[in-house]
Amino acid sequence: MHWFQHLIAPGFFQSTEVQVALIIGSAVAITSAVVGVFVILRGQAFLGHALGDVGSTGAAGAALVGIQAIWGFLTGGLVAGTAVDILSRRSREREVTTGVVLSAMLGLSALFIYLITQVSSTTGVTQEILFGSIFAVNRHLVVPMMGLSCVALFLIAFIYRPLLLSTISLETAQSRGVRVRLVSLIFLFAMTMAVEQSALVMGALLSTALLIGPAATAIRHTRRLGYTMLMAAGLALLDTWLGIMLAYNSFYWPPTGRGWPVSFFIVTVMVLSYILSQLIPQPQSKRAQ
Amino acid sequence: MQRWRNALFGVGLSLFGVVLTGCGSPAGTPAAGGPSTSGMITAVGAENEYGNLISQIGGKAVSVQSIMTNPNVDPHTYEADTANARFVSAAQLIVQNGIGYDSFMNHLESASPVKGRIVVTVANVLGYGPNTPNPHLWYNPSTMPRLAPIVAADLSKLDPQEHTYFEQNASHFIQSLQPWTQAVQRVHSEFPGAPVAVTEPVADYLLQACGLSIRTPWAFQAAIMNGVDPSPQDVAVEENLLKQRQVKLFVYNQQAVDATTSSLLGIARANHIPVVGVYETMPPDYSYQSWMVTETNAFYNALKNHSSMVTLH
Repeated sequence: MHWFQHLIAPGFFQSTEVQVALIIGSAVAITSAVVGVFVILRGQAFLGHALGDVGSTGAAGAALVGIQAIWGFLTGGLVAGTAVDILSRRSREREVTTGVVLSAMLGLSALFIYLITQVSSTTGVTQEILFGSIFAVNRHLVVPMMGLSCVALFLIAFIYRPLLLSTISLETAQSRGVRVRLVSLIFLFAMTMAVEQSALVMGALLSTALLIGPAATAIRHTRRLGYTMLMAAGLALLDTWLGIMLAYNSFYWPPTGRGWPVSFFIVTVMVLSYILSQLIPQPQSKRAQ
Repeated sequence: MQRWRNALFGVGLSLFGVVLTGCGSPAGTPAAGGPSTSGMITAVGAENEYGNLISQIGGKAVSVQSIMTNPNVDPHTYEADTANARFVSAAQLIVQNGIGYDSFMNHLESASPVKGRIVVTVANVLGYGPNTPNPHLWYNPSTMPRLAPIVAADLSKLDPQEHTYFEQNASHFIQSLQPWTQAVQRVHSEFPGAPVAVTEPVADYLLQACGLSIRTPWAFQAAIMNGVDPSPQDVAVEENLLKQRQVKLFVYNQQAVDATTSSLLGIARANHIPVVGVYETMPPDYSYQSWMVTETNAFYNALKNHSSMVTLH
């Protein structure tokens, strides 16, 4: 056990901040990874990233009126996601509408962040919104965050069959009577919940890291969708735990007594595992998509 | 259907633009603050405590504008606007803190170079190096007595006829700090070395002058000041100071508030540790002297009677 004590700096499991970070981080990791598998299969990585960015508008607005950032992130994401869905009836237009809605929302974000510096005594809001602050998450948020994860996962389970069918072939799904638009809208809500939860932890700019990274690695190395989601969730969990542990340990690294940001470590571990997985040969037969 | 929707979206966006320009125009019209017509010296204090010093010394001969006045704003994150730029371009004398606390002032000054304008950077004239960790110099009881003669001399350069008036006002100002010095002495003699916790270094110079012992790790204070997350280790140390009642007083910066500091405020209250709220800028209806005396006496009352004074306004 001696090596173990050296691996994890003293006080790790006693710290309330670490406990809250581990619980919320795990919920976010699992949700992001499972939703992320579908995001990649449906080719919606850009929309996923945009949802994180537009969440920053909501979070800045939340800071202005003095409510918890997560509710702002969610509102921003749901508003923008619905706008993209309504404005892009044909799938080819989706990229462009996403870009326009993204710009409009980020413009508002610039205004809100400016107003924060002029009228509020809150400190470091910009940093928190853009790059996250998992160690500063209010412990009263544990229950609502778990609830959000459950809702997102429940939505995926609820539409699993039609979602899978419309992901593989839109025409087949339509011919079998699947209400494709409804399924796509429900998936959008699940995706928004996953991304915005992740934005609270990782920051708006990095919220897609957990959505895309573990799922991309898992899709390369598994054939059955169930295994893909399990592997993605496992990777995301490992990634988040390692990130939190390294951030805690970095208190003892130069400049001593400061501690490096958690999001840096989570993204680093994610990228390293992705690169490593590229070096390992893929399974022989290609998965059916 | 598609066409209609797109057209509607376009119209909506244009309307949004019209509303924005409509709202914007009143703020764009010039307000007061241009060059003075009455022959008074125009001066700017980057923070209202320095503005207050200038107006106490300049009296009737000076018209003073302060940039940072709002006690509900964190000065560390403040960015200048166009009204500030107008004040700066019209100013003959500017007093600013320096050490990065109000670096936007340097940008405003270089954007509107004025010949003969005097800029007093407090940190530089009092000999604080650029790497001084704690920029809140006005909380040091020695700062204003050293600054007052400098401001009086600069005002005399701008209006030599009022030379004696400025010097009298400066010495009167220094005398008027006597009650504050006594208040500091009272804490120092009755509670030497009493342990205190803080959220942010704003009042550290004053707490040290009072002979109190600041137990909060510097890295924690610096993180809150700079708006980054403190490390979990430092949060644990700070929480234990309050939970185990290792401190007699919790000094809470009302102008640097985040999730961590408000959770600490709750812990302090739950553990019956007296709280004193302190400010970065001078709160409304106070002078520099009365502000400093009030906060120092609040430290005393907290240590003596366990009473809190969370807000000043």
